[in-house]
Amino acid sequence: MPELFVSGLSHKTAPIAVREQLAVEEDKLREILVDVHGAGVLSEVVILSTCNRVEVYGVADVPGEARALAFRRLAQHRGVDLAQVEPLLYTKSGTEAVQHCFRVAASLDSMLLGEPQILGQVKDAFALAQSCQAVGPLLHHLWTQAFAVAKKVRTETELARHAVSVSYAAVELARKIFGSLEGKAVLLIGAGKMSELAAKHLADQGAFPIYVTNRTWARAQEMARALAGTAVPFDARAETLGTVDIVITSTGAPEPIVRRADVERCLQGRRSRPLFFIDIGVPRDVEPGVNELDAVFCYDIDDLRQVVDSNLRERLREAQKAEALVAREVAKFVARDHDLEVVPTIVSLRERLEAIRRGEVEKAYAVLPNADAQTRRAIEAMSQAIVNKVLHAPTVKLRELSRGGHGRTWTEMVHELFGLGGRGEEK
Amino acid sequence: MNLILFDLALLGYLLATVLALVHLVQRQEAIYRLAVLATLAGWVLHTLALVVRGVEVGRPPLGTLVEAMSVVGWAAVLLTLWAERQYRVKVLGAFILPLVALSGVSGAWLPPGFRDIAPALRNAWIWVHVILAMLGIAAFVLNFAGGVMYLLQEHQLKAKRPGALYYRLPSLETLDRMTYRALTLGFPFLTLGLLLGALWARTAWGSVFAFDPLALFSFLAWLVYAATLGGRAVAGWRGRRAAYFAVVGFGVLLLTLGAGLLLPGRHGS
Repeated sequence: MPELFVSGLSHKTAPIAVREQLAVEEDKLREILVDVHGAGVLSEVVILSTCNRVEVYGVADVPGEARALAFRRLAQHRGVDLAQVEPLLYTKSGTEAVQHCFRVAASLDSMLLGEPQILGQVKDAFALAQSCQAVGPLLHHLWTQAFAVAKKVRTETELARHAVSVSYAAVELARKIFGSLEGKAVLLIGAGKMSELAAKHLADQGAFPIYVTNRTWARAQEMARALAGTAVPFDARAETLGTVDIVITSTGAPEPIVRRADVERCLQGRRSRPLFFIDIGVPRDVEPGVNELDAVFCYDIDDLRQVVDSNLRERLREAQKAEALVAREVAKFVARDHDLEVVPTIVSLRERLEAIRRGEVEKAYAVLPNADAQTRRAIEAMSQAIVNKVLHAPTVKLRELSRGGHGRTWTEMVHELFGLGGRGEEK
Repeated sequence: MNLILFDLALLGYLLATVLALVHLVQRQEAIYRLAVLATLAGWVLHTLALVVRGVEVGRPPLGTLVEAMSVVGWAAVLLTLWAERQYRVKVLGAFILPLVALSGVSGAWLPPGFRDIAPALRNAWIWVHVILAMLGIAAFVLNFAGGVMYLLQEHQLKAKRPGALYYRLPSLETLDRMTYRALTLGFPFLTLGLLLGALWARTAWGSVFAFDPLALFSFLAWLVYAATLGGRAVAGWRGRRAAYFAVVGFGVLLLTLGAGLLLPGRHGS
């Protein structure tokens, strides 16, 4: 009987040096997919190739053979020795393979828990295999279900909710202070990749206007253009503080360029509107102590990193919820799959009994040519009742057994006992 | 009959409290839905209990302090259900339901033979006076919970150590808006309620306060809330300051309740 399996290596089992040699770009992957599928060992196959994992999902009579074939072909692409890869491979089959697939799609197996790219990569891998006609009913069912599970994890848990990069963490903090960022004014002091990224994220969330200042006027103007903002003279920064909500600082200045006294002065006209400093500069650009002022929040780079750490711990906690959800979905999938396994047998058993019933009823009518409508109705009802009653127990029992994983043995037995023909023949 | 209904309502609130607290810790959507269901069930039973009570005693169920407290709880639960949706603050129940359940439990423990309003005092204005004041106080329960949540969240943000509450509580802006809304909702009710009480006291006793501790304390609470509103309008007191005032105002309301229960006065005890 063909069996579902997954085999591969990931960041958990293999170093980057091996992963990068097996990772394949799309065009080449299409070629490999066609070759592997064409060899006739696998009836269905999907290959997932990202920088963190190379995995073959397949349906084959002999998974071991299929795995060797697929990885020989993958290794051959860059001339890697299969013997070097073999020991790093893991293989899972049946229920475990289903679970693995769901966990990967839900980003529970990712290097960074809950990272969003993996679902897109999983979808691409599936689409590619589909375009190569390498996907059959089992993998189709498995993968579409995996997408649904990933979506469920995303909406029902907070696995991917909290930021794990410093610039996003800053944006999230701003949202915890201001709620919506729509129309919140931002002042960007100094240049820097991280600070510009944070400003861009804020602008994406509706923050406006963006003021930019820099010791070098030309640089300020250049950044203002890049961020669709307004350049402000460096010496006017203290006055600008009074009109903005969020200040991002990132200069190379040896000492603070935003003094506590400056902030205190600007607070008078603010009527307790919060002011949020994101200080990415090292050494710090905002004088410590600013955080103590009423309605002022000041986060330096270490504070932001601490928030990121805490967010990561939060993801770990959410991952437990997600694991439980995946386990439930795996159980559902396996139960349905087992049901599917016995359904054809139940159908052909019913067809066989129905044929016998029809035949016998016809014979009865032949002996009773004068039977009136009432007698005929009674004969029909009686014969149907017999069929239904005979079928009831085996139907229930077969479904029950299939959920326990014994479906295959028993369906074969039923086929044998009732002469229903080989399993392969039905449909 | 009404006592059984009150007990069942209280049971619903207690269950809702436990579920809301579990939701606060575990943040599971299913538990939140159960908490809302339990709250709704408790509230419907509570409504029934109040109606039956009114029919049984032949007057609005506002004659004793315990009854009045019960009406505050009833209105506060309704406000909570509204505010949770309006401001998307699912953890609000975890802050208000314990208060409601606690007042229900303590109400049930108070001596049953509580002195009723003297029949001579019963007229329509008394009931309007009480109901307005109680609805106002229900809004101040929300005001208080919002203030406490604001202070907790602000503390988390200032301390820069995001703990469990940081993730569960909404933004400062949302909490400030909710707290302020509750204040503007409750203040007119309390003002009118107190005004009616004062006018009535003057006609009945010839003096606005008539040496009644409850009246004095409630006027003090009114002053605190009036100051919060004034400060916000004139000097832009928002955020932390508004939250402190919400806590202080509620503290004075509790003193008012204590005064009504323990000190002799004209409010029935």
